[in-house]
Amino acid sequence: MPTPVLLTPIPEERILRVLWDDDAMCDYPFSYLRGWCPCAVCQGHGGERRFVEVEDPQLASIDMVGNYAVNPTWADGHETGIYTFEYLRSLGDELPDRKVPRAERNAE
Amino acid sequence: MTEHERRDAIAEKLKRVHYPGSRRDIVTLGLVGKVQIQDDSVAVHVRASSVKEDVLRHLRGRITQELTAVPGIDHVHIHAFAAQAGQDAPAGATPQAGNRAVRERADIPDVRRILAVASGKGGVGKSTLAVNLALALETLGNTVGLLDADVYGPSIPLMMGTDAVPRAGQNKKIHPVEKYGVQLISMGFFLDDQSPVIWRGPIVMSIVRQFLREVVWNDLDYLIVDLPPGTGDIALTLAQEVPLHGGLVVTTPQDVALHDVRRGIAMFKQVNVPILGVVENMSYYRCPACGEQDEVFGHGGAHKTGLPVVGEIPLVEDVRARGDAGKPLLVSDADHPAAQAFLGIARRVAEAEAMQLSEPVQ
Repeated sequence: MPTPVLLTPIPEERILRVLWDDDAMCDYPFSYLRGWCPCAVCQGHGGERRFVEVEDPQLASIDMVGNYAVNPTWADGHETGIYTFEYLRSLGDELPDRKVPRAERNAE
Repeated sequence: MTEHERRDAIAEKLKRVHYPGSRRDIVTLGLVGKVQIQDDSVAVHVRASSVKEDVLRHLRGRITQELTAVPGIDHVHIHAFAAQAGQDAPAGATPQAGNRAVRERADIPDVRRILAVASGKGGVGKSTLAVNLALALETLGNTVGLLDADVYGPSIPLMMGTDAVPRAGQNKKIHPVEKYGVQLISMGFFLDDQSPVIWRGPIVMSIVRQFLREVVWNDLDYLIVDLPPGTGDIALTLAQEVPLHGGLVVTTPQDVALHDVRRGIAMFKQVNVPILGVVENMSYYRCPACGEQDEVFGHGGAHKTGLPVVGEIPLVEDVRARGDAGKPLLVSDADHPAAQAFLGIARRVAEAEAMQLSEPVQ
């Protein structure tokens, strides 16, 4: 399982910079990270995962969850998203394409 | 050297500081925030949100080493801070637990390793293994705690032969009960024999959280957690709440048990907990009259999991009877073959776990 070594929120740039144990580095814009929040509040139950637009979300903090996930807390109080390392990495790997959410993504 | 040149020189030097274990430097990694230069001193703000203490110490040393090499710089101040939304480096602030932007769900104080004992289904001897493993690890010279996370069906008090009431300590802390040299906590200590636990998930999870966080464990080498059967709320809470060092899965040899144990294995994999091995309980029955060995539940089921089998416990009355009597085999008859099997498991667990720990943790 890919494992993050460093999680560095850079509020000035509105990104979370993650260094992974294979030395890959990903910059997650806050809006992107929040938009792909996997929690049931954002995603409902069932169906394709979709991008949830939130205007200028601010990352307040991130907690590690056991050995397998991270749990961001957003400035608006949203804190139900548990991003497994695998999911977080897959978001990072797809970043160049997914920076701007594409409508067809919903139809995939 | 002009002010501008000096600023460039400092930027160059900072890029020479690599993050341990990475080919990347601290500037690229976004760890360097503001850099302020005044006369002969430079102040570097380091975003240390998730940087471990020892790494931070190393980085401080390296940054100081590099920057004092810049002509005209005599003093290097490093402010490590936890970047949070909407705030930049508060001058002189150091990251502290609680206000860090990145928080590790902390290890339990005074507990070095946490091992969970799980199974796919009930009745395979999870608690029997947990009890005897705890005692075996204690026999091998470790300080051991045993947390009965089976809130609905706590059986540790009966098997350990104690119904003592845990002492309340300061700040709502709970002192564990001690028996046979093992520190114990169980829901069973707070109930009488008849009262059922009829609670929904959230309450049960808060109990497990309390057992982990509010119990004053005394300097444990191992905390063994006896999980309830299956892969429900409690197992998940445990996996989320603390970094587990390893999991053991208990099964019996027949195919249907194997089918269920796969779920237990998959659970540990999903939450990234290293599986130390599978224990096959009720492996075979040795007739007390003629000594013949009979494989009541079939043979070698645990081996089909593809995981290391760390022990095979024979189906003998003594294991069951001593447990029911509150005098587990390890304390009442340590020379018994089954007791020796438990000791073997403890040794293998300690070895497997030492290997896991020695892998470089980055």
